[in-house]
Amino acid sequence: MTAFAYAPASSPRRSGPSAVRSTRQATSASAVPKLRYIVVLLAGIFAILGGQLLLSIAVSGGAYEIASLKSDVRSSEQQLQIVGEEISALVAPDTLATLAGSMGMVPDNNPAYLRVSDGAVMGEAIPASASASAQVYPVTAGTETILPPAIVDDVFLTISAATGVEASASDPFSAPADAPTVKPATPVVSPAVSQAEKPTPRFGGSIPSPITH
Amino acid sequence: MAHQRLASRRIGAALVVVFLVAGLLVTRLVDVQVVRAAELREESANIRTTSEVMWASRGSIVDSFGNDLATDVDRYDVSADPRKVGEFRRDGAVISESVAMAEIAAITESNPDELLYAVNQDREAHFTYLVKSVSPEDREALRALQIPWLQMDLIRERTYPFGPVTANLTGMLGRDEPLAGVERTYNTCLQAINGVATYQRGADGVRLPGTTTQVKDPVHGGEVTLTIDSDLQWYVLQTLAEHGGNLGAQYGSAMVVRVSDGHILAAVDWPTFDPNDFAEAPVEFMGARSFSSPYEPGSIMKSIGIAMLIDGGYTFSEDRIVAPGIYQVYPGRFIKNFLGADTRQLTTAGVLHNSSNTGISVLSDRMPKAEATRYFRDFGFGEVTAVDFLGESSGQVLPIDQVDTMTRYNQFFGQGISVTAAQMASAYQTLANDGVRVPLRLVDGCTTKDGVFVPEPVGEPVPVVSASAANQTVRIMETIVSQGPLRPILEIPGYRIAAKTGTAEIATSSGYGDDRVISLAGMAPAENPEYVVLVSFYKPQSSRVSSAAAPAFHEVLSHVLKHYRVAPSTQPAVLPPLTW
Repeated sequence: MTAFAYAPASSPRRSGPSAVRSTRQATSASAVPKLRYIVVLLAGIFAILGGQLLLSIAVSGGAYEIASLKSDVRSSEQQLQIVGEEISALVAPDTLATLAGSMGMVPDNNPAYLRVSDGAVMGEAIPASASASAQVYPVTAGTETILPPAIVDDVFLTISAATGVEASASDPFSAPADAPTVKPATPVVSPAVSQAEKPTPRFGGSIPSPITH
Repeated sequence: MAHQRLASRRIGAALVVVFLVAGLLVTRLVDVQVVRAAELREESANIRTTSEVMWASRGSIVDSFGNDLATDVDRYDVSADPRKVGEFRRDGAVISESVAMAEIAAITESNPDELLYAVNQDREAHFTYLVKSVSPEDREALRALQIPWLQMDLIRERTYPFGPVTANLTGMLGRDEPLAGVERTYNTCLQAINGVATYQRGADGVRLPGTTTQVKDPVHGGEVTLTIDSDLQWYVLQTLAEHGGNLGAQYGSAMVVRVSDGHILAAVDWPTFDPNDFAEAPVEFMGARSFSSPYEPGSIMKSIGIAMLIDGGYTFSEDRIVAPGIYQVYPGRFIKNFLGADTRQLTTAGVLHNSSNTGISVLSDRMPKAEATRYFRDFGFGEVTAVDFLGESSGQVLPIDQVDTMTRYNQFFGQGISVTAAQMASAYQTLANDGVRVPLRLVDGCTTKDGVFVPEPVGEPVPVVSASAANQTVRIMETIVSQGPLRPILEIPGYRIAAKTGTAEIATSSGYGDDRVISLAGMAPAENPEYVVLVSFYKPQSSRVSSAAAPAFHEVLSHVLKHYRVAPSTQPAVLPPLTW
């Protein structure tokens, strides 16, 4: 408290007229450089603050970008999984056999080969009979409640449309609930019959080749 | 003066108050910033911090071509907070609760009444499941409904894309742990450990930069590669289903083994189950009976017996013997033939060709029982195969001191000894491979998450019989296909095939009953066998003779030859005489 009390008394002693004069002289001599220092200093401080702000904005902006990219990766992974599941369903032997059967293909268990070097037939080629069974048998002891994914049905319908097989009548992938009412008494014979009725081979030539795009 | 004193006292009081307040503030500051700093910082972090399960994928089980047999997929559990369920606005329209439920039900193929029931059961509850295990596609469709009270949580689920085809081998995953098969045996390779990430997030749920305070990395599982060819496996399973169904058999097993390396290309058990939906599958059909169910094999064992006798130097394929109509083991105990009671002049080849019980008894009489037991064990009977499948049976080869006189003869035609289909396939692989047994292989190895393939150890090949003994036996088995009564069924034009039939009686508590196990084992091409096929049906009803298994065997073998592009045989067979 004493410092407060004494303070006013001490100041006049320090700032005598000579002191004031000398200060004024100094100010006039170095006012411009001092102001420059202050301006530079302040500008520096603001620049640093501003830079920090920008950096921080960039970082948090980056955080949003990371978040959005991560969710993109996630959804791409799921797309991959969905497609992978569809592929698995389509390459499943059951599916392939049923699709092949629906196109009128029958298994032939008489292996024979054509040797390219001299055109010799290896083994005894015996044509498969059209009546050979292309049926897919149930293999579980319990009830199978799981239906193949929709893609399998889509592919079946596409193939049936292309080959002229009556899809609605023999769709092997349709839900079992409506199967008995829709299916004819002889389930998968229609492909063979329709093939027999056609005057020209389905794929247009003596060598079976699928139509490609 | 008094005035001055009063003023200084006021100043003093004010100072005291100022000091007190300042002191309090300083104390509080020190308390907050120093004393309780850690605690408070933690508390604040806790409010912003969220932890997230980082799902790790359980490894896939793949077949030898890399097709997924078991794999992890993303699914979502759909739930709701019943307190918040109600009508909401979407695009300006008010959607009622029941309409929303109907929409959810339409997408997830569930019953809207059940969904409403789940919510109405306890309106005060904080949580109820609506639909479990929804596919990512359906989840997108559900999200598009913009239902504010619908919650969808990511889960990982195991799927078996080929369904029942390899179910007997892969086994299945229960809610907490693998239940059977390779899933269980190779859990160490397959298992995944979920990770945890804790980070702070802003009000909008975005992760604050630089706040990821703790991460336990998810550890993905490795991939198990089987030797199985799932296309072939499917075909064999279909064949068993067709013929097993026609025969009214209780069950059937089949195996296809590659001779050169003992790889099991197909190991099939029919009927089987769907590992995607096994809750109601009968338990007895959920395993791999080809590994777990031993049976007395019957005549299919005679090929092994002949190979043993030739290798031991007790006979050779052209050796002439007299096979009596009835063979007396000791007074009162006889061995009879399946067909015919005439005494026949057979060669050793003829004994196997005709599956003569008395003939093989004449021959087996020449071999000491200790030696026979050693051979049986060398062929791999009486111990689990190198596959060491979960729950695999070792079958039974009696210790020498328990082999009585009758059993000693019986063993040579497959009674008094029990084997699994896998063991029998392995024994036929030995005959096909110049007498050297290559340990069976089902799991090729584990590919760790870092992509390093760790192969399963390869067992040492066991020389069991000489190449000459094995080849003589294969020649004799060729006569069964090319000259025997089953020729029309078994023949595959252009190929040389060796096979042996077997009709085993099933032992019951009161001796051997009417039920049979019919089986056929063989190999092709006979001049240099590449594949061994074994097919067996348990308790067939419509026909109980081994020929009933022949069509299935023929279909499988010809498919194998076609599937693997085996070139037809070019050398004519030189086969031993059967009689003299």
